[in-house]
Amino acid sequence: MLEVNELTKRYDEVRALDGFTLDVAAGEIVGLVGHNGAGKTTFVEMVSGLLQPDSGTVLVGGRPPADTRGEIGISPQHIALYRPLSVREHLNLYGGIAGLRGATLRDAIDELAVALQLTSFIDRRAGLLSGGQQRRTQAATALIHRPSLLLLDEPTAGADPETRQALLDVVKQRAGEGTAVVYTTHYLAELMDLDATIAVAAKGRVIARGTSAQLLEGLPGEVRVTAADGEVHVSSQDPTGTLLEILGSVRRPVESVELRHPTLDDLYHSLAADHVH
Amino acid sequence: MSTDAQLAPLATRFGDALHRTRALVTYNLLLRVRDPSQLISYLITPMVFMVMLQPLYEEALETGTVHAVTGQLVMFSVFAMAIVGNAIFVEREWRTWDRLRASRAARWELLVGKAVPVFVVLLFQQAVLFVYGVAVIGMPLPVSLPLLLAAMSIWGVTLLAMGAALATLVRSRGDLIVACDVGAITVSTVGGTFLPVDLMPGWAQDIAPFSPGYWGLSMLRAAVEGDVAETFRPALVCLAIVLVTGAFATYRLAHGWGRSHLV
Repeated sequence: MLEVNELTKRYDEVRALDGFTLDVAAGEIVGLVGHNGAGKTTFVEMVSGLLQPDSGTVLVGGRPPADTRGEIGISPQHIALYRPLSVREHLNLYGGIAGLRGATLRDAIDELAVALQLTSFIDRRAGLLSGGQQRRTQAATALIHRPSLLLLDEPTAGADPETRQALLDVVKQRAGEGTAVVYTTHYLAELMDLDATIAVAAKGRVIARGTSAQLLEGLPGEVRVTAADGEVHVSSQDPTGTLLEILGSVRRPVESVELRHPTLDDLYHSLAADHVH
Repeated sequence: MSTDAQLAPLATRFGDALHRTRALVTYNLLLRVRDPSQLISYLITPMVFMVMLQPLYEEALETGTVHAVTGQLVMFSVFAMAIVGNAIFVEREWRTWDRLRASRAARWELLVGKAVPVFVVLLFQQAVLFVYGVAVIGMPLPVSLPLLLAAMSIWGVTLLAMGAALATLVRSRGDLIVACDVGAITVSTVGGTFLPVDLMPGWAQDIAPFSPGYWGLSMLRAAVEGDVAETFRPALVCLAIVLVTGAFATYRLAHGWGRSHLV
């Protein structure tokens, strides 16, 4: 659905993208993670046709972004809402621009209002909403026309757990219906929840790509065993096996055991740090 | 048959474009309706000034009443450029313009959707002030309503283009306020809206034609008097201003501002 090949972009002396390559299939959720300045937002702006690359290609469904804008739903990193307009008016605007009208538009609004829990404030102006409500409204404007490609740039930044879960549920549902999703975030647990494949970006390029299991393979976990005579704390690529070994060799009563398998946070830090160094 | 088959998708595309443009015009009208304070102040203040200044102008000029109305109308219509500037600037400030640019709407649809409601506001302001001028200040009825309407429309488009260009240039809301206020006072005063050009010192008379207000005032006064020939020349100058500032604003709006252009 989305084919991005060797994108480059410079802002004066800063190289924002440096050979950024990423493919996303229909129905796939790709979690794009990386430090601030890794190029995630520049990538999103290029796919949505707002920025032109210095070199490289972007194809959405085999066509350039300029020809496919109606098929893309975008929720940018920052809140971009009209403060004097209500949630319903926003949805009418973006739905109307996308070509929805009459009963189809009303049904789409009603469906999203329930799914994203907008009903209680749907006629309130955006300027009067809380941060979480604004996030949900913004996501709804990206989802209203059922796009075949969703670009969600940190859609849950600053959102409460309820908002986060409601959005994740809708994203999973849309992916299940065949929508390709690019989901940039700093909350790596969300990507586990979405069952997303992961792309790690650093310095303007994707430096690792795969499922979480593939990417976590080989990363060390941690074992911490506290006994009456002291504490053992080791890193291990096989935390369970190491724990059993330690328990077999400890002669005093064990007071507590802590076992931590590698997480996406570890992967992120390890890859990004390697790349930076 | 083949012509029908070719025309059908064209008609659908045109219908879709109209639908999108209507959606854009509607939300822009809503934004204007929900922020009426600027328009109200630019209607009431010139009404008060017309009443106050009419006896003075009547004493000093042969066509004092016409100048009292058209002078204040042009001055406060130039102030109303702030409405245009604000309408565009909020799209930058709220970062909504890029969202629209990334939508299915074509650039011309976005520009029409933005321009039409603001143009209606500018035309409405002029119409109300002319009606007030005739009904309350005692200005004679315009000789040709179509000519006056054409002149009002050209002046409205001129203000729209200048305001849009200004809004795409400034770097902050403070810049916009200063540019609109100081710019409006300068453009209108140098253009002879407050002190008629004939009564200005020689050097000021020499620089008056460099102000768009001078041409707007000349055009509207000639249109009120029904003088087609005298309306035509300033109308051409106004349209030239539209061409230059409108092209600049259109380019800036169509291409967006990218990042970090706002202070």
